[in-house]
Amino acid sequence: MTASPITIVDCQLGNIMSVQNMLRRLGFESTVTSSPERIAAASKLILPGVGAFGYAMNQLRKLGLEAPLQKRVAEDGVPVLGICLGMQILCRGSEEDDVKGLGWLPADVVAFDSERIEGHQRIPHMGWGEIEVPRPTRLFPATSEDTRFYFTHAYHLSNDDEQDVVAWTTHGYAFPAAIERGNIVGVQFHPEKSHRHGMEVLRNFAEKY
Amino acid sequence: MLDGTARPYQRCSVSVFDTLDDPGMVFDDEGRSNYYHEYQALAREHLRTGREAEVLLDQLVSRVKANGANRPYDCIMGLSGGVDSSYVAYQAHRLGLRPLAVHFDNGWNSELAVKNIENIVSKLGFDLFTLVVDWDEFRDLQLAYLRASVVDIEVATDHAIAGTLYRLARKHRVKYLLSGSNISTEAVLPPHWIYNKLDHINLLDIHRKFGKRELRTYPLFGTAQKKLSIDIDSVESLSPLNLLDYDYDRAKETLARELGWRDYGAKHHESIFTRFYQCHILPQKFGIDKRKAHLSNRIFAGQLTREAALEKLEEPPCPDDVARSDQAFVLKKLGLNDDEFDLIMRTPPRAHTDFAVERSMAQRFPAMRLIRPLWRAVRGAATIIKRD
Amino acid sequence: MRRVRVIPTLLMRKGGLVKTVKFDRGVYVGDPINTVKIFNDKEVDELVVLDIDATNEGREPQIERIREIAGECFMPLGYGGGVTTVDQMSRIMYAGAEKVIVNSALATHPAVVSEGARRFGSQAIVASIDVRKRFLGGYRSYTHGGTRRMPEDPVTAARRAVELGAGEILLNSIDRDGTYEGYDLDVIRSVASAVPVPVIAVGGARNVGDFLQAVQTGKASAVAAGSIFVFHGVHRAVLVNFPSPSLLKDQLFQPLTAGASA
Repeated sequence: MTASPITIVDCQLGNIMSVQNMLRRLGFESTVTSSPERIAAASKLILPGVGAFGYAMNQLRKLGLEAPLQKRVAEDGVPVLGICLGMQILCRGSEEDDVKGLGWLPADVVAFDSERIEGHQRIPHMGWGEIEVPRPTRLFPATSEDTRFYFTHAYHLSNDDEQDVVAWTTHGYAFPAAIERGNIVGVQFHPEKSHRHGMEVLRNFAEKY
Repeated sequence: MLDGTARPYQRCSVSVFDTLDDPGMVFDDEGRSNYYHEYQALAREHLRTGREAEVLLDQLVSRVKANGANRPYDCIMGLSGGVDSSYVAYQAHRLGLRPLAVHFDNGWNSELAVKNIENIVSKLGFDLFTLVVDWDEFRDLQLAYLRASVVDIEVATDHAIAGTLYRLARKHRVKYLLSGSNISTEAVLPPHWIYNKLDHINLLDIHRKFGKRELRTYPLFGTAQKKLSIDIDSVESLSPLNLLDYDYDRAKETLARELGWRDYGAKHHESIFTRFYQCHILPQKFGIDKRKAHLSNRIFAGQLTREAALEKLEEPPCPDDVARSDQAFVLKKLGLNDDEFDLIMRTPPRAHTDFAVERSMAQRFPAMRLIRPLWRAVRGAATIIKRD
Repeated sequence: MRRVRVIPTLLMRKGGLVKTVKFDRGVYVGDPINTVKIFNDKEVDELVVLDIDATNEGREPQIERIREIAGECFMPLGYGGGVTTVDQMSRIMYAGAEKVIVNSALATHPAVVSEGARRFGSQAIVASIDVRKRFLGGYRSYTHGGTRRMPEDPVTAARRAVELGAGEILLNSIDRDGTYEGYDLDVIRSVASAVPVPVIAVGGARNVGDFLQAVQTGKASAVAAGSIFVFHGVHRAVLVNFPSPSLLKDQLFQPLTAGASA
């Protein structure tokens, strides 16, 4: 396996063990760390996240991780996969809080438009959803009829450039399920909680980036 | 581990057993091992085919039906999800019997086993009873066996299956157990590879010396139960597969086709512990590859060629990723860390007879002191409890 | 195609799994780790594990046990039982659970519920409301394993839980628990109509038809069950089972997609 070792960033933001568990089940070892030094030396990063945008960014800054991440990702071009809130903090900012994001992705995080969702649909968007893939990418080379992922979120992305969106999903209306722009990759859903469908995505990130 | 270096290596010319499996093995002029001859003797005694088998099967079915005439069930049938017991279920349905299907849940069922059991009882319309032993209790018993360093750790499960079947026979006033025991896949094997599953004295002594928790939900098949079931109620275990021209591969095909049965990949892999035991503990600690027994019997039964068997033996018992995740899972469930498990693996094996044994068995089989008759006694007892 | 989550609910007592009837008795079902592994291998949508004695015994959530269970789950896991501090919530999630389920804390530690939602997001906090039908009509809510009455009725309790920040309601009918009498559609509908967040219905399910009713008539967003997923047949034999994807598609998802729902 020529896959480079994976560093999982631990901002103490909820469940990161499951990402490591799934990687391990797939045969990939990974390190969970909140150490700025180790992040500065990482060759591949995963940024999981659960919770509130503002709280997450403050944690990141409090732990001194913003600078090494900026260097490694924005300057050195190391691949990074943001998961759920981890993808949202890649953006400029969020309607959820008055805090700036990492800003690597030309996009904003917005609340679900309650006027556009159907009567029976609720917020937070919680449950299994199917995706639409505009063109095959490394993360989604192919999908089958029963491909589905677990979503749990109250906010979603709004991208400046729709070419960055590599998978769409719907909850009342279509919004980004996954993005990719250069070395920046992100998924709104939780691959570590999406059975074999999620395993495919994590495997693709581990092997192809 | 038995040291096979005392004599030159030789392999049976018919089966795949060799002198590393049993240093006491003897060969005839054609290089056939004593296992070949023992298989032939057992086949002569128990296997029937053609018209004779039909007649005996009819008689068996009539007896069972007559005995269960005014009762909800006419027999008790163990169901593990494995090939043998699944096929017995299929045949029981075809023969019009009314079994109570019984499953012993020791906390190690794979999803595949549970699904197979569900399919069988649903599609064949059988009632199911499960005995779920308290997990902490059973874990303690398994750990006792591991620390005792004896070879047959599966006695913990197999004994409980017997206990469960007999208890239910009593409860439902049923005289017959329907067993998946069969000659063509399990007639012969080296005696030191297993131990008498019914010997509760041995189990209790191992538990007493290495266990910490009281056995309260564990269905022990003790002296009193044995007396009641075997001597007083005369509960009898029947092995219909020996009258049904049982072929392992053909049985699997039938089960898949008729009942949506899914394959585990190897015998006994419906239990994650058993898979780990056979793929890792037996080979690494005891130098035993149990596949050789299954394959050799099928060769003797004329259902498999020696070449095909040797080919299968070239692969490891389990793929590496399965072995890896099984080890993590087993250690997690048993509450053992790597060092503790390492110590268990490195501790030299001990004989079951280092611990107390059931004296009545010795009385019933006075020649038990000799190795060769022992396995016959063990096999005889093992027909009663059955796990595929 | 519209999907709804179908969620097995597992009850833990003294480290083992049990199944109750009307929150009483407790038949032993087996080892949590193996049972969770089987559900995982069946690729169920989500799992709820509740430590039903933790609050009454004044016990902390068993973090190590949660970690062992979460290690077998490649689907979301919600854990509840005895949660009264934000630190516990944090440790539960760090151990591998997605959601923390609070019940008694709604009455005894409401500020903790709010703080938890603020810190981890509302989607991580599930308010579990246990209800019993009153003899002369209406419903009452309970905490502490059904032993302590809340001052509010279920609708008021649910609204308050959402105000505190809960992102989901797990609505549990004590009367129907383990009875195979079907869901209590009235209480489900009254709560689901009163709050904007997803409501998960649990208590009394017999089959997939009941799931459909809970969603169509009861307006539940998701359904949960215990007994039907662990027992089989007349002897209530313990046998973990879950409807096949095709069965769910035919009897739940497609009818929902086809039918109109307000």
